Amino acid sequence: MKRYDLIIVGAGPSGLSAAIEAAKRGMKVLVFDENEKPGGQLFKQIHKFFGSKEHKAKIRGFVIGQQLLEEADKAGVEVVLNATVIGLYQDKEIVVRLGETIEHIKGDAIIIATGASENMVTFPGWNLPGVIGAGAAQTMMNLHGVKPGQKILMLGSGNVGLVVSFQLIQCGCEVVALVDAAPRIGGYGVHAAKVARTGVPFYLSHTIVKAEGEECVTGVTIAEVDSHFQFIEGTEKHFDVDTICLAVGLSPMSQLLKMAGCQMEDNPKRGGQVPICDEYGRTSIPGIFVAGDVSGIEEASSAMIEGRMAGLAAAEYLGYMEETELDTKLQELDAALDGLRQGMFAPKNRGKEIRETEEGIAVSQNLLTHGYIADDEIERFPGFTHRKGIHPVIECTQNIPCNPCQDACPKGCISIGANITSLPIAVADADCINCGMCVASCSGQAIFLVDEDCGDGTATITLPYEFVPLPEAGTKGIALGRNGQKVCEAEVVAVKSLKAYDKTNLLTMRVPKEYASTARFFRAEA
Amino acid sequence: MNQINDRSRDIGEYVPAPDDDMIICRCEEITKGEIRRAVHDGMFTLTEIRRYLRTGMGLCQGQTCSKLVKGIVARELKVSPADLEPATSRAPMRPIEMRIFANERKEDEGHE
Amino acid sequence: MATRIKTHPILGEIEKGRKVTFLYNGKELQGYEGEPIAAALKAEGVMVHRYTKKQHKPRGIFCAIGRCTDCVMVVDGKPNVRTCVTPLKEGMRIETQYGVSNQPFEEQ
Repeated sequence: MKRYDLIIVGAGPSGLSAAIEAAKRGMKVLVFDENEKPGGQLFKQIHKFFGSKEHKAKIRGFVIGQQLLEEADKAGVEVVLNATVIGLYQDKEIVVRLGETIEHIKGDAIIIATGASENMVTFPGWNLPGVIGAGAAQTMMNLHGVKPGQKILMLGSGNVGLVVSFQLIQCGCEVVALVDAAPRIGGYGVHAAKVARTGVPFYLSHTIVKAEGEECVTGVTIAEVDSHFQFIEGTEKHFDVDTICLAVGLSPMSQLLKMAGCQMEDNPKRGGQVPICDEYGRTSIPGIFVAGDVSGIEEASSAMIEGRMAGLAAAEYLGYMEETELDTKLQELDAALDGLRQGMFAPKNRGKEIRETEEGIAVSQNLLTHGYIADDEIERFPGFTHRKGIHPVIECTQNIPCNPCQDACPKGCISIGANITSLPIAVADADCINCGMCVASCSGQAIFLVDEDCGDGTATITLPYEFVPLPEAGTKGIALGRNGQKVCEAEVVAVKSLKAYDKTNLLTMRVPKEYASTARFFRAEA
Repeated sequence: MNQINDRSRDIGEYVPAPDDDMIICRCEEITKGEIRRAVHDGMFTLTEIRRYLRTGMGLCQGQTCSKLVKGIVARELKVSPADLEPATSRAPMRPIEMRIFANERKEDEGHE
Repeated sequence: MATRIKTHPILGEIEKGRKVTFLYNGKELQGYEGEPIAAALKAEGVMVHRYTKKQHKPRGIFCAIGRCTDCVMVVDGKPNVRTCVTPLKEGMRIETQYGVSNQPFEEQ
């Protein structure tokens, strides 16, 4: 039977990261993935990631995927695709299906990095063609270049639901509504805001009554629910749709570990059935490690760090590393991982209702219930200031670990400080040169460059614009407010698309100056 | 004995509900009502439900329905889903044709 | 029905293989070599991939990554082929699956 130092199941961000670390230390590493292409969900992520520079912030998911693949290639990692691991046994033997044959392979160490699968929610009509998972929408749009549908209702306001809704709009679909049974939006406020300002209505405390259609989805009815998730009579709303997207959570795919006999636990904070493991991914069976979503649902940034930890732990287990060296390396990675696990959406804060930021500012309730900051709420945040001349307005109002805006400005106009979850502050007395780097660098698309008074009764607002067709200078249209409703007439002054902006175009529009603090999106139409 | 598996425990009568005809196991087309009735027939564990009804034994091997089935059975037993032992996990973890399962790649003579 | 994305604001021009012709229930349709059969069908407006064995209900793409098996069809005579992860080839014969066969239920 063939034998490898390390066999990794799953070539997603955590699996590849583990493979790279282990291979760098001289181990013979084999990675199996059941898909045709490696990278897991990473290549479907077309948005810029959050975090700090060490977390690859500001870089788009699929670019990080390409970088990982190149690094794995250079380190001599062997990735076998279309390889479905169908069994894992306690003595670290793997049974894998390769095409028309199966093979038994032994690993001296095994890392399971199989990720997670989507949860389901049932309602009459949920089996109809047209009801798809959010991951399915992403796969079709971003991997295959096909629109999942024309008119779509999204169920779920976690980061997946919010991000996929935005991606649907980017590829030309119409998102008619974003619905969640919970009373508050589960994902980042900035993700919700960039969807809301395009005009998508949010229906919190609502869920689907039924999907209509004979051969496929033709419509959907939603209704409000009370605190016990029971429908409230008379609150039904109907939408004509051809697609319903479900983004209702992820569950770890940990069956292989259970099969091998690892100690498991049902941990709702981690997403369900997870192996009991230490903070470096060691399970109850020596030599079997875990990394990424399979050990607890988080995100790609955490998965990559966990992968590297597991890779190092496996290296030490097999004697390719000294324990002391391992401890130092693990401490560094642990600090990086800990940096991500802070703020309002940290795993430790899951389920808690947070009413104030770390700075003591009341969070925007409207953002949590409708997806946009109300015009009278924005004034209390440190990123929002009134000033003469062009200046950045940073509408980032929740504590999340993220700071590319600080580094983006060459003039020091934006400050976050050492604690990367702090709210960004628009620095007083800083000289904005209108380079636009802050607008382009904000992964949450929450920064605008505003000139509140051009002297002729108008104001200009520069906003991030990642849609096609790209309007041209001179195009007349309307400006939408944070809530996606029309606030006034607008005209495009300029559209800048520099390489440094990495596909985030900067659209500058002119509006009557009384709308300088409310106009936040442009639509080219009467 | 695990308190949940104690079949002499009274879990109440099966009460029909309006959504009993909702399909839960998509592959085998098993409805919510069938699952709930199975619990009252004495199937208190997920492994038994799977054997009794074939939920999780269809083409997708439980990838889609297992969490849903768990929730329905737990509610019928009046316990938390976290208290239910998941159905046995065994190879093959993914559906595989018999002829491939039996087609073991031949090793070269001699070991590496 | 314009369901293919021509230019994507982030991904640019989506690269495809060469254009090929395939048969869907006897009808000639076009797609791109190597893309999943399901993607080619979606672009041509096909929603129903199969009808279930017991209740004869329509099913289509659900997970799009080969896990849920709702998108299976009869491909080149073989049933239960997951169209969302099977690459399209020139001349492929794709048929709606009824239960586990390509024959409508009345004829089974």
